[in-house]
Parts: sequence; C-alpha cells; structure tokens
Amino acid sequence: MQLALCGILVTFAHFRRLPFFTAYIALNVAQGVLLFVVYQHYDPYSQAAFLAGWWSEAITLLARLFATVEILHLVLSPYRGIWGLAWRVVAGTSAVMLIFVVGASQGDPGRALMHADRGFNLIFATALISCLALIRYYSIRVENAYKALLIGFCFYACVKILLSTFLYGFLHGQHLQYAAIWQIVSVTPYLLILLFWSVALAHPLPKRREQQSILPTSVYQRISPEINLQLQAINKQLMNFFNIKEEPQQ
Amino acid sequence: MNYSAAVFATIGLLFLLAIAWLAFSGTRRKTEAVRTGGRERECPHISHFPQIKQALANADFIYLRDQGYPALAKRIRKERRRIALNYLACLRVEFEKLLHLARMVAVMSPHVAVAQEVQGFRLNLEFTYRYYLIYFRLVSGVAPLEAIGNLSNLVSALMVRMETAVSELGAQAALGAESLPHNGGGLDAGG
Repeated sequence: MQLALCGILVTFAHFRRLPFFTAYIALNVAQGVLLFVVYQHYDPYSQAAFLAGWWSEAITLLARLFATVEILHLVLSPYRGIWGLAWRVVAGTSAVMLIFVVGASQGDPGRALMHADRGFNLIFATALISCLALIRYYSIRVENAYKALLIGFCFYACVKILLSTFLYGFLHGQHLQYAAIWQIVSVTPYLLILLFWSVALAHPLPKRREQQSILPTSVYQRISPEINLQLQAINKQLMNFFNIKEEPQQ
Repeated sequence: MNYSAAVFATIGLLFLLAIAWLAFSGTRRKTEAVRTGGRERECPHISHFPQIKQALANADFIYLRDQGYPALAKRIRKERRRIALNYLACLRVEFEKLLHLARMVAVMSPHVAVAQEVQGFRLNLEFTYRYYLIYFRLVSGVAPLEAIGNLSNLVSALMVRMETAVSELGAQAALGAESLPHNGGGLDAGG
C-alpha cells in the first residue's frame, strides 16, 4: 500500500508540491524494510531490534511532523495573518499539552518510551485539531487532497493514543500474543489511511492560491478592536436582559 | 485502568469525535448559511422594534382578557412569543454579520493579533450561551419584551457604525472581498 502511494506521488508529480510528505511515506517504506531485515537476523525482543524499532519510529514521527507543517503551510500560506496566528496557537497548545503529558506520564520507567510516543501523538493531535478548528473558524477553503492528508494524520495520531493506552495498558506482559495483536491492530488503521490518501491523491493537485492578504495592517488594527467592542456591548446587553434599565439611544 | 490511562483514553476519544465533527460539519455549515441567508431576507431591518413592541403591548393583551376573550388572549400571547423569538433570531443574524466581518478583516490582514482574535472568539461563545439562555426563557414565557427592544437599538446602532467603518476600507477591500472565503468554505469546501 505504501509503495502504491509512492507510485501515485511520483506519477502525478505530487512530490514536487509535497516533498516532506513524500519523504514521510518513503521513510515508512524504509522503516518497514529495515525492521523486516532486523527481525530476520535478531530476536524481536533483543536490544538491537528494540533500538532499530524505536529509532526508526522517532525518525518517522519527525518526518510526519514536517509533512504536516508542509500541508498546513500549503493551506494557510495565502493568509499570512492566519498562518502567523496558527503558529502561535500551535505553540501555545503544544506547550500546555507537553506540561500535561509530562505530569500524567510519571511512573513506571520501563514504559517511558511508550509514554513518550503517546505523549508525542497527543501533542501532535492537539496542535493539528487546533489548526483545523482555526481553519473552520475563519472559513478558509481547504482542497480535498490536503483535507484528506490532515484528517488522516490526525486520525492516526488519535488511534495511536488509544492503542498505547488500551492495548499497552491491558495486554503488555500479560498476553503471549501481544506483539502479534499490536501489529494487527496498529497496522490496520494505517492501511486504511494509506488507502484514503491514495484515493485523495490520485488526481492532480489544485493550483497554488495567491496571497489573500490585501489589507494594510493598520486597517485590522483599527477595525478589529472596534468590532470586538461592539460585540462586547451586545453581550453586555444580553447579560442585562432580565435587568432592564432605560438606556440612551446610541 | 489507572487515572492517567482513563484521562488519555477520554482525550483520544474526544479528539476522534472532534475530527469527525471538523471533517463532516462543512455540509451542515452550508445548510446553515443557506438558512441564515433566508433569515436575512426575513429580517430586512431589525430596527423596527418600536413598531413590533407597540403591536405586542401588554395593554392590548390585558384589554382582551378583561373583555372576556381568554381564548383570543391566549392566541395573541402565543403569537407574541413567536414574534419575539423571530426577532431574537434576527439579532443573532446581525451579531453574526459583525463576526463575519471581523473574520474577513483578519483573513485579509497580513498581521493578526492573538489577543483580539481570542477576544472575538470568547465574545462569540458568550453570545451563543446567552442567546440560548434567553431563547429558552422566552420559550418558557418569563422574558420581558422590552429587553429585546434595548438590544435592537444597540445592534442597529452598531451596524450603522460598522457600515461606516467598512465603507472606509474603499475599493481595495471590496476587490479583496470577492476572493475571500465565505460560509461555503472551511474544511468541507473542497468537497
């Protein structure tokens, strides 16, 4: 499935527009090959397999991060102000979630890597959902292909959070077939996402949109506080709805 | 399952719901936009509240009741509530117009202030909460109509001021508005 997606990325020349996403998929293919070779030569519970597994996972997680930023940039770059706002929202939510993750993942040092993986996915999902909410709030147009990629990333991160919590929490060290169960349950949603992405990317990508920021900054600085004051006034009025006083006409 | 695992599991499930909402709510928004458009046509000018208020005056209602027409009085009371609810919905349309304008300006600006945007978002949440609070109180028949009159005056005044401010943006903004995202945009826009 990953190879098929790579084929689509090359056939439609999407790698030019989505170099980091292409790299992410290629790295996943490489990770699969690497782990296959390692498991052929070493015991799956050996130190070598452990290191190969977690290091390759860390690299693909980093690649996923870059791929996501790339897609968000493609969506939001025509809106400079919103892109700047999105960065600050991502930084803020990530910082808050990092504190939460560190606080909530204390305990068993043997599970530190699993907790780190789950924490990364949680921060990643929070940041991405914040961005998606921001896009929706400002009614920013998102092309189908980019929408599919963003939703796929977010869905997979959420599935990983749930798997790390339920599967690792309940079955690890208690079930003989834990590794096999983990493989099946974690690979299945990934395959579904790859299929979803393949369908979404099996078309030429839309043309890049031009810069939408055409107002001088001074206009925003003048209008925005004015609107907020007025919205505030309406709210104040609503608040006093049941406590009517004669108000002067404005 | 320990406390920490329960928290992570809950967050994971909530996030999945959030993704589903963000992915599929575009269609609903389009429908809402169409409905709001219809509402806008229904309330061409919300500043006619004095006339509405006069038509709904308590005096008429009391008079009918005193004259021995309880059924008619009841019917009028129902009508009066329906008109008040419609009017409240019109106020919401006006509020949303202001919000939409704020978002348009933000989208078109090269620099956006976090504090201003957060404030706008918070005000939107507050308005929604209060709107529904008042809505349910109106439905239950405990809200005084005079309060809507005050709101009406305020919103009308605000709209006039905003229209003046917007007209100052000139042709540049008008040109940009054509290429702006609108209610049909969002995550469902491409679909």
